[in-house]
Amino acid sequence: MTLIPRSLSGRLLSVALALILVALLAAGVAMYFALHRFVQGQVDGRLDGQILSIRDALRVTPDGSLSLDPVANGPPFDRQHAGWYWKVMAPGVDLRSPSLGSDDFSLVGPLPEYRPKPVTADGTGPGDEPLRVRAQRFRFEDRSVFISSSAPRHALEGPLREAMTPVALTLVVLALALMGGVLLQVRLGLRPLSQLTEDLQRVRTGRAERISGAQPSEVAPLVAELNTLLDQNALNLERARRHVANLAHGLKTPLATLAVIMDERGWYADGRLRPLVMTMDRRIRHHLSRARLAALGGPERARTLLAPRVADHIGAFGKLFADKGLIYEIDIATDIAIACEAQDLDELLGNLLDNASKWARRRVVVGADRVGPMVEITIEDDGPGLSDQQAVDVMRAGHRLDESAPGYGFGLPITRELAELYGGAFALGRSELGGLRAGVTLPAAG
Amino acid sequence: MKILLVEDDHLLADAIGRALRAENFVVDVASNGEDGQHLGDTETYDAAVLDLGLPKVNGVAVLRAWRSAGRKLPVLILTARDGWSEKVEGFKAGADDYLVKPFRMEEVVMRLRALVRRAAGHAAPLIVCGPIAYDAQLGAFSLEGLPLRLTALEWRVLSCLMLRKEHVVARRDILERVYDGDAEVDSNSVEVIVARLRRKIGHGLIETVRGLGYRLTAEPS
Repeated sequence: MTLIPRSLSGRLLSVALALILVALLAAGVAMYFALHRFVQGQVDGRLDGQILSIRDALRVTPDGSLSLDPVANGPPFDRQHAGWYWKVMAPGVDLRSPSLGSDDFSLVGPLPEYRPKPVTADGTGPGDEPLRVRAQRFRFEDRSVFISSSAPRHALEGPLREAMTPVALTLVVLALALMGGVLLQVRLGLRPLSQLTEDLQRVRTGRAERISGAQPSEVAPLVAELNTLLDQNALNLERARRHVANLAHGLKTPLATLAVIMDERGWYADGRLRPLVMTMDRRIRHHLSRARLAALGGPERARTLLAPRVADHIGAFGKLFADKGLIYEIDIATDIAIACEAQDLDELLGNLLDNASKWARRRVVVGADRVGPMVEITIEDDGPGLSDQQAVDVMRAGHRLDESAPGYGFGLPITRELAELYGGAFALGRSELGGLRAGVTLPAAG
Repeated sequence: MKILLVEDDHLLADAIGRALRAENFVVDVASNGEDGQHLGDTETYDAAVLDLGLPKVNGVAVLRAWRSAGRKLPVLILTARDGWSEKVEGFKAGADDYLVKPFRMEEVVMRLRALVRRAAGHAAPLIVCGPIAYDAQLGAFSLEGLPLRLTALEWRVLSCLMLRKEHVVARRDILERVYDGDAEVDSNSVEVIVARLRRKIGHGLIETVRGLGYRLTAEPS
C-alpha cells in the first residue's frame, strides 16, 4: 500500500494540504510565542515598575531600621488575594502589599542572587495559585534587601488566550480559504484532462473525428499525438476496408465466370455445384457487409439529405420494377437530413425499397418525420405484408421466407444492425395500405 | 437482337458471349471502357451489357458519355459491388437494370430481352401480331398457338420486325442486327431470310415497303 494517492488531483491536494497546515501551524506557533512574550513583557514591566517604586520608597529611619514611604498601591495591587502581591525582605524588615493581608507567597527554587535588574521566578500564592514573580536582591545602605512582586499566572494566560482566539480563528479561515483556492486551482488546472476525456469519448462514439479546440501548451503535444494516432487508425481502417472490398470484388468476377462456365457445360445438372457457388457468393457478400458495419465511422460525421437520396432510389426502382408499373409516393420534407453516411443510408433505403417494390401490388409510400432528435423513415407497400411470426423470422440473419425470391436474405437483419449502430431502431409492422410497414429511426442531422 | 458486351474479364466475356449467342443474340465484345464507349457511340445496338469495373474508362463514365451524347440504348450493368450506393449511382448515370456478380446466365438473357422489349415500347412480355406471338421472356415465337421453329438468323430478323410491328424497319437496321460486327455481310441476305420467314409464317404478314424496308403487320394491305 502506498501513501501517494493515485489521482493527480489527490496528489496535488494532499501535498497542498500538508504544506498549508505546516505553514499555518508554524505561523500560529510563532504568533503564540510573540504574543506570549508581549503579554509577559507587559506584566513583567508592571511588576518591575512596582519593585522600582518600592525601592524608591525605602528609607532608613533615624533608629537605623528600614521603613517604607507610603507606596502607591493602585490597582491591581489593591485587590485582596488577586495574585498581585509584593513584599520586601531585609534583616528586621518584613513589608508586604496590602493585598496579601496576613498571608504570604513563596518562591519556588532558590532566591535570586544580586542583579542590577529584577529577575523572573515562579511562586505560589496563599491559595497555592501559581504566580509569576519578579524579584531583585540589592544592597541598600549596606543592607541586603530582597523585593519581590507577583502577578497571577492567569494574568498572563488570559490576555494571551484572548489574543490567540481571533488569531487562531483567522488562521483556520485562512487555511480554509487557501484549501478552497488550491481546490479551485487543481480543478481548473486539470480541467483540460477531463475535457480531453470527453473529447476522446466523442471520438470513440463517433460524434467527432478528431480532438479539436485550443489546448493548453502542456496538453497540446499529447492532443497532437492522439490526433495523429486517430488519423493513422482511420487510414488503416480505410485501407483494411478497401482491401476487404477489393478481395470480395476480386473474387466475384472469377466466381461469375465459374458460374457461367459451369452453367454452359451443364454441370449444374449435378445439382450440387450451383448451391456451392451461391454459398460462396452469399458468404462474400455477408462478410463484405459485416466488414463495412464493423468499420462504421459513426453518426455525427456525416449529414445526408434524405429527400434527394430517396428520389434517386425511386428513380432506380422505377426502372428495376418497370414491368410492375408501381406508383411511388414520397412524403418527405426537403430539409430533413440524417446523421448517417450516404452509403449506409443507401443500404437501408435500398434494402427496404427493394422489399417493398418486390411485394407491392401497386403502391409504395415513403415518408419521414422528425421525432425528437431522430427521424423516422417509413416505407409502406400494399402487398401481402408479413405475419407477426414472419416479421420475427425475416430479422434473423440468413433466414429467407421465400427461397425462390432472392434478396430476402440478410437484407433486413443488416438493415436492423445498421440502424442500431447509428443509435436508431428498425421495426416491421402492418401498413394502412394493407402490406408491410418498415420503420427505421436514425439520428437527425442539424 | 444485337448486344454490346463491355467486360474486361476475357473468360467471363467469352462465356457470356457464347451464352447470348446460343440464345440468338448478336454480340459485339469490348474489353475496355474506351473501346466500349466507341462501339456504343458508332454502332447500333438493341442493348448493352456493361461491367462497371472497367480498365481505362470505368463503366459509369462510359454510360454517362453515351447518355450525354443522346444514346438511348438500354443498358444492363454488371457489377461485383452490390452496395445500393453503386447501383443507384449506376441508375443515375442512365442504367436501366443491373446484375450483381455472380449471376445466372438465364437472368442476363431474360433481363436483356425485357430491356429490349421495353425500349421498343412494349409494356407486357407477350407481343402479338396477328397469328404470331412473341414471348419476350422466353424469347420464343409461336404461330397460331404452336411453337415456331426458327434458325438464328430468322429469329433475329423476325424479333426485330416483331418489336417494331406495324412500323417500317429499314433494311439497313435489320442488317445491323443480324450479323456480328466483323461478319462478312451480303446485302441480299436479309431478303433471303425474309423470304424464308414468309414461307414459315405466311406471305402476307411481312410487307416489303419499296425503297424503305420491311413491315410486320397483322392487317396486310
